[in-house]
Parts: sequence; structure tokens; C-alpha cells
Amino acid sequence: MKGLLIKDIRLLKGQSTILLALLVLVAVFMGVVSDVSSFFVVAYITIFLSIFVASTISYDEYDNGYLFLMTLPVTRKKYVNEKYIFGILISIFAWCVGMAAGTVLMIAQGAKTGAGEWIGGNLMYICIAWMFMSIMMPLRLRFDSEKARYANIIMFALIAAVAYGVSRISQYVPDNILRNVSAFFNTLGNNGILALCAVAAAAALLISYICSRHIMEKKEF
Amino acid sequence: MMLEINGLVKKYKDFTLNCSMKVEQGCITGLVGENGAGKSTTFKAALGLISYDDGNIRLMGKAPSELTESEKQKIGVTLAESGFSGYLKVKDIIPVMAAMYPDFNRERFMSLCHKFSIPQDKYIKEFSTGMKAKLKVLAAITHNADFLLLDEPTTGLDVMAREGILNLLREYMEEDENRSILISSHISTDLEGLCDDIYIIHEGKIVLHEDMDNLLNEYGLIKADDSQYTKLDKEYILSVRRTPYGYDCLTDQGRFYKENYPDLVVENGSLDETITMMTGGKRL
Repeated sequence: MKGLLIKDIRLLKGQSTILLALLVLVAVFMGVVSDVSSFFVVAYITIFLSIFVASTISYDEYDNGYLFLMTLPVTRKKYVNEKYIFGILISIFAWCVGMAAGTVLMIAQGAKTGAGEWIGGNLMYICIAWMFMSIMMPLRLRFDSEKARYANIIMFALIAAVAYGVSRISQYVPDNILRNVSAFFNTLGNNGILALCAVAAAAALLISYICSRHIMEKKEF
Repeated sequence: MMLEINGLVKKYKDFTLNCSMKVEQGCITGLVGENGAGKSTTFKAALGLISYDDGNIRLMGKAPSELTESEKQKIGVTLAESGFSGYLKVKDIIPVMAAMYPDFNRERFMSLCHKFSIPQDKYIKEFSTGMKAKLKVLAAITHNADFLLLDEPTTGLDVMAREGILNLLREYMEEDENRSILISSHISTDLEGLCDDIYIIHEGKIVLHEDMDNLLNEYGLIKADDSQYTKLDKEYILSVRRTPYGYDCLTDQGRFYKENYPDLVVENGSLDETITMMTGGKRL
């Protein structure tokens, strides 16, 4: 496991240093020029870099590398474990970088956001990053890079379609039900909603992990 | 027994592998055959990288898919068409190997990289075929493995580099008499001077298994014209091939024909001729 983590960190270091610098620059630039919220900067960096984690699978796959990787002291189960641990670590790292960039921007913009709201609001983006990761990881393990790209597009299009469908259907939901749902979320408060998102993200990661384990067990090299 | 493959069957749409073989402790076993004969498929099956339709494989006493991390640490592997990710450099590989193999000899690995002119600070995807091949072998032999499975380890190497790698393998065996190697190659001279026994694979089937000493000392290639061929005792003939002047016959009893047919030309056995005859001739 440690060896795999070192490999992925080295891969990411070699390939994403420029990407990370670019992300921070673009985010801060957008914040200064277009006056976007500093929350956006945190979301942008966290989610973008977390999505990049799945691409380390492409680096493993490059030139049939998977074959050789599986001859090393690595079991299929440990490989999947490592990818998820690495993904979670990178999302936390990306969030920290995003927070640092966002905080600098917030101070520069003179915004008066309370520390609780600032940290709590931004924690939500880790949950979103984990949701993205949960979708991308099994797809990337199941399909080769070319097919996974199409699978990702289809999956995100599906999510958008479902979200649009839900928003349309909500117009036809009786008012009293909507009011009850709205009241339920209001009673939860910001912390409650954050906790709910965290639970949803953790559940998504767990389901995704189980799917990935199953895919990897069946994989032919 | 380091590796035992019994009745392995792997079916693809246009190819079926049907193979049985074993690698004994303390032995170097060669697997030789033309491209597409089934060498790499055999390696993949032996390492648990592919499923198979029938048969039984025991790698160091266990089914390959059941090997634990610590048991895999005792195996060193090079594969013909695969290696470390091209997006890594040698200096990235060193800490990975050190973390994965408790017995990884960092100093030896680095000195061998230096000896074989493998750069530390260059992406592997930019390496030549020869440099990639050398790196794979060096990584396989520097973590105190008990068993090496080397699929085409000398492909793409020039004569000097090939000899250097083969010498490393000889040194590896001399360090511990219980170690074993399974090696495949299409360069038969590499295997002639290295292996204790050899398997010839052709169209997915093992067509010959023989001790190397036996093959080189007892096998012979008989060159007979039509009348000599007619009178020839065919009992010890393994394979026959028609030639413009008559027949080439491969025998595992060269001495018998030399003694009983003094007029015949009987050339000493060589792996090249044996492969050619067993894969291209008509087997009797």
C-alpha cells in the first residue's frame, strides 16, 4: 500500500504541479477580475484536482503498465484500497490549497464572512468532490481511458438530466409536501445540511468502493 | 517445485493455449517459441493475471490468485509488453521498490543502473527499448526474490547488453542454489547457454520438453537423400522436413544414427534446429 501511494504521489507530482499552479492562478485571477465569490475558488480547486485523481489510473494503464503493476506485491483489493485512500487524501490536500487561495482572495476582496460560515460552507465542496470521485473511479477501472471518457460524459449528462427532471417534477408536487420538505431542511440548519451531505458523500464512496472492488476482482489483464 | 502447470487451457476467439509444464527448485527453465505461440499467455496465467478455462496452476505451492503480498515479494517478474509506468523516472521507482520489497537492495540497483547506463532523471517513456528491458531485469533481480519469471527479458538488447544481463542471471543463481528462473526468449542462443531444461511451445501447445544438456549432446539433425531416408530406421526420429536435396530428420538419438549409418551426415543438436524441426517439420 505504501509503495502504491508513493508511486501515485510521484506520478501526480510529476504531472500535476503545473496543473495545480495553473488552477490556483486561474481561480485567483477569476476572483480578482470577475469578482466571483471566494467560495467558488475553493470549490473550483477542490473539485478539479479531485477529478484528476482518477487519471492516475490512466498512468497505471499507460503502455500496459497494469500488467506489470499486478505482478508486484500488490493484491487487487489493496490496489482499490489505495486508490480511494489516495483520492481522499488528495481531495483534502486540494481543499487546503483552495482554502488558502480562497482566504487570500476573501481578505483582498474585503468580504466579511464569519470563520464558521467560511469553513463550514467550503467543507461542502469536499463532499461534492467525493461524489464526483465515487462516480469516476469505478468507471475508470471498468473501462479503458477512451471508453471511460465517454462513460463519464454519459454519466454526468444523466445526472444533469435527473436533476432537471426532479426540478421539473417539483412543480407538480403538492405545495404542502414541498413546504414540509422545506421546513425539514430549515430545521436541520447549516450544520445539519452539511452533516447530511457528508453522510451522502460517505455512502456514495462506500457504494463506489464496493463496485470498484468487484470490477477489479473480475478484471483480466 | 516453484511452478507447476497442469492441463492449463485458455481459450480465445482464434487461439487456444493448452499447456502443462513445471519449474523445479534450483533450475533455470526456458520457454521458447515463435511470436504468438502462447509464451506470454502462459506467463500471464502463471501469475494470475488472466482467468483460464481449465487446468491447475501452483506458483510456489499456491494458486496464483491466492498469493499474499509477502509471498509475491519473493517473486521477480519481467513481462514482454509491460513495465513501470512511462510517467515515472528511475529516481521515482527506487522509493516505490524500497516500500514494496523489504529486501530491496537500493545500492546494488543504483550501481547496476549506472553500469548499464540507465539514467535516473529521465521519464521511462523516453527510454529506448533496450533501456526499458534492462531496467525491468534490474528491478526483478535486486530484491532477493526466490523465483524469477522473465518473459522475453533480452528483447531489444544489443549483443553486449544481452550478455551482461545473462551474466547477471547466472550470478543471481550462483548466490543461492535454491533459486529458480523461468525465462522465455525467441533468441535461442540466450537459452542454450543458460537453461537446465527447455520447453518448446507451438500454436499453444508444448511440443517438446527436454534437458538442455541432453538436447545439445544427444539430439542430432540427419541430412538424408531420398534413398538413405527410405532405408532409415524411423524409431528415433522425432520430426521430418522435406528439403530440396532429400530430408532433414530430427532425432533424440544422434549417436545411434552416427554409429549405425556411417554414410549419413548427422549434425550435432542445436536449439535453433530443434525449434525449426519441431515447429516446422512433420512430427512422427
